[in-house]
Amino acid sequence: MAVGIEKAAPAQLPAAQEGGDNRALGSSSAGRLVSAAGVYGIAVLFLAIGALLQLTGIIRGFLSLQNMLNIVDAAALVGIVATGMAFVTYSGHFADMSVPTTMGFTGYICIELLRFGFLPALAGAIAVGLVIGLVNGYVVGKFKANPIIWTLAVNYVTMGVIRLVWVNKQIYPDMRGSGQDAVALFDGIYRLRFFNLIGLPVVILVVLVVLGQFVMTRTSFGAKLKLTGSSLRAAKFSGINVERMITASFVLTAFTATIGGLAVTSLSRVGAWYNGAGYDFKAVTAIVIGGMTLAGGRGSILGVLGGSLIIGLLNNVLTLLGVGTFSQDMIRGAIFIVVVGINAKSLRSLGRDDA
Amino acid sequence: MKHVSKRFPGTIAVDDVSFEVSAGEVHALVGENGAGKSTLMKMLAGSFDDYTGDIRVNGRDVTLHSPTEAKKYGIGMIYQELSLARPISIAENLLAGRLPKRGPFLDRRRKASQAKELLARVGLDLDTDLPIEDISQHEAQLVEIAKVLGNGPCILVMDEPTSALSREEVERLFEIIVQLKSRGIAIVYISHHLPEIFRIADRVTVMRDGKKIATKPIGEVSREEVVQMMVGRSVKEFYKREERRIGEPRLKVAGLSRFGFFHDLSFEARRGEILGICGLSGAGRSELAKVLAGLDRADEGRIELDGAPVKSATMAQALGQGIAYLTEDRKIEGLALRLAVDDNVLAPIVDRLSSASIYSKAKGAPVVARLIEELDIYPPDPERTVGNLSGGNQQKVLLAKWLASAPKVLILDEPTRGVDIGAKMTIHNSIEKLAREGCTVLLISSDLPELVGLSDRVMIMRKGHFTREMAFSECSEESLLLAANGEGSV
Repeated sequence: MAVGIEKAAPAQLPAAQEGGDNRALGSSSAGRLVSAAGVYGIAVLFLAIGALLQLTGIIRGFLSLQNMLNIVDAAALVGIVATGMAFVTYSGHFADMSVPTTMGFTGYICIELLRFGFLPALAGAIAVGLVIGLVNGYVVGKFKANPIIWTLAVNYVTMGVIRLVWVNKQIYPDMRGSGQDAVALFDGIYRLRFFNLIGLPVVILVVLVVLGQFVMTRTSFGAKLKLTGSSLRAAKFSGINVERMITASFVLTAFTATIGGLAVTSLSRVGAWYNGAGYDFKAVTAIVIGGMTLAGGRGSILGVLGGSLIIGLLNNVLTLLGVGTFSQDMIRGAIFIVVVGINAKSLRSLGRDDA
Repeated sequence: MKHVSKRFPGTIAVDDVSFEVSAGEVHALVGENGAGKSTLMKMLAGSFDDYTGDIRVNGRDVTLHSPTEAKKYGIGMIYQELSLARPISIAENLLAGRLPKRGPFLDRRRKASQAKELLARVGLDLDTDLPIEDISQHEAQLVEIAKVLGNGPCILVMDEPTSALSREEVERLFEIIVQLKSRGIAIVYISHHLPEIFRIADRVTVMRDGKKIATKPIGEVSREEVVQMMVGRSVKEFYKREERRIGEPRLKVAGLSRFGFFHDLSFEARRGEILGICGLSGAGRSELAKVLAGLDRADEGRIELDGAPVKSATMAQALGQGIAYLTEDRKIEGLALRLAVDDNVLAPIVDRLSSASIYSKAKGAPVVARLIEELDIYPPDPERTVGNLSGGNQQKVLLAKWLASAPKVLILDEPTRGVDIGAKMTIHNSIEKLAREGCTVLLISSDLPELVGLSDRVMIMRKGHFTREMAFSECSEESLLLAANGEGSV
């Protein structure tokens, strides 16, 4: 229908005018889809590379169903964390570096509270996570602390707290005794599979992505966050409560970090301070590969999902190739630098970046 | 410069223009925003490596493909936005790139003496170790000039050098320009401010749509002729007054103080009234505006709107009650330059366009379309990135943003600073229309013709106090200027 009006748009009639507006709105969401599709194009490319490597006999087992599930499961953990953190990036505050120990800490809390039942444990862990997010958001929003430095400091303080409280010990869910049912449920966070195929983390990720994309593009919060991320001062001078926007974005990050932390803890069946190690950088990489600019105010959650898939695929192919963990870190770092570089350059050449 | 052209993707920014400036001459370059003045001068400054045409300096053909080359041939540029590094000392800014050394070390004594000497050339006597952020804007502007002079230029380009200066400061700048002229320096002076050009320039070149319209000795043209050449149409009267009905009192301010900025201000503004606020920079005008808009707290006093006290602890609160503030700082506080026109225009009314937190941009589209048409925003594309618009069109978007919020009281802080005449007229018409529709407008402006032309009444502000109130009939550029300076009969 829209196409018909478009064609008939030698604008004189009011109807034609409206048609023009629809087209304008359509093209912008189409633009978003195209840029998100670019990420998925890269994901398909990685998939093709993996397939090619298998067909030429360099790696084995890439194309098996089990391996595909592994990729999706790994991507889900990164994706869950990245979906929340993307809001901080979108708000123009780069990243939340306190994610790793938020994940670790909430894991400890959950395991400790399992003796009171599964739901109380879940609620307790989420509450603690939200408090960390609230503190981060308030300090960065209200006192304009440098987000990287502040959250990095919080990361280390939280790590210190964990190691002090649990005397530098890992803790394990009590498999016997009264809390058995709760422990079984906790185990299921990572292991529950629908139709023996789709893991619960994947379902959680899909739900978070749908919600996140909706919040970012369709709500007044998303619109105000976009303004805040694009120009903090202009947003403030438009009567937007930018402090609240920033606080909310850090709280969202802490929330998904907690969910991610619980999934990782469930996977390893152990509370350890290093449970979330590396997820900060993996998430940021997924976010920038997904087309979100570090300058803020641009990008989409759908893109971040694509970025997470790419991270999962990359890890998988590299592991199958026999590349060691350290070398993998190096490669991820290099990719991050290249993506951020290309991104900054294309923005500048478009004349769209005031930084 | 002979037959020079520069293309950007899609447009020819400068189309076959020839332009010359002689030693000891001030040659004014005028035109509306987007006419190609800045692009022409950027060619001269070596910003482009792909222009066509010839450029000659002192009779020699030169290729200017980089700023370094331009500097080598003695071309100095003073831009609208200062290029000084703010936390660094005056001396280091002045001597950047050529700090005196003794062996591998910095020669502090020579650094200070060389810097002092440069400052003396522009008539400044300051401690050269002060960081730039500790001196006034006007002093910084002079330091900028001193820095460029330090490179020994024979051609000096000044792009809107007075846009941030108060009237006294402009006078000092003019004295310096006269000195530079007498030393045989050729000066290209870009400005929107016609009275300045008629005072200081020897010749004037008018550009429009990338083409040169004419070059005339200043004595042979009138202001009206220049304006006509700039806009390409006859401007009979700048301000044509239409009858406006002024209604009952709306905004009442009593004993308002913000210590250190303004004291004990009381006034009343009515529905449909345009109340001008006149004063030199530093008189406390913007500070008053920020308190009314909820951006700063008052220390004492009351603000009432339609008889009810105003709670404006935050800008969101003030806006909710119908008080809007258009900032004087378009690029940083006013607009999100990386976002589209519609995103900017709808920014203050996101909540109003939302129901149950679901935001409908589509509901705002007719508002944006209406404002783009009313303000003649070019290009008329709601999705255009604001940063890619010309200055005048950016300013229109900024006004559109506040028109969209349909305020009861609109405070305008320098609504037409640095915009071309066409945009200025559109903005003025729109302000008048707004007042006719019953909005109370507080107009803060350093542009005296603007104040005289639009205001129903003008309050004179001086050193944080209201010193006088003038009715429309008493207002003229001269009477306002005298009053703002604390002279003239009371």
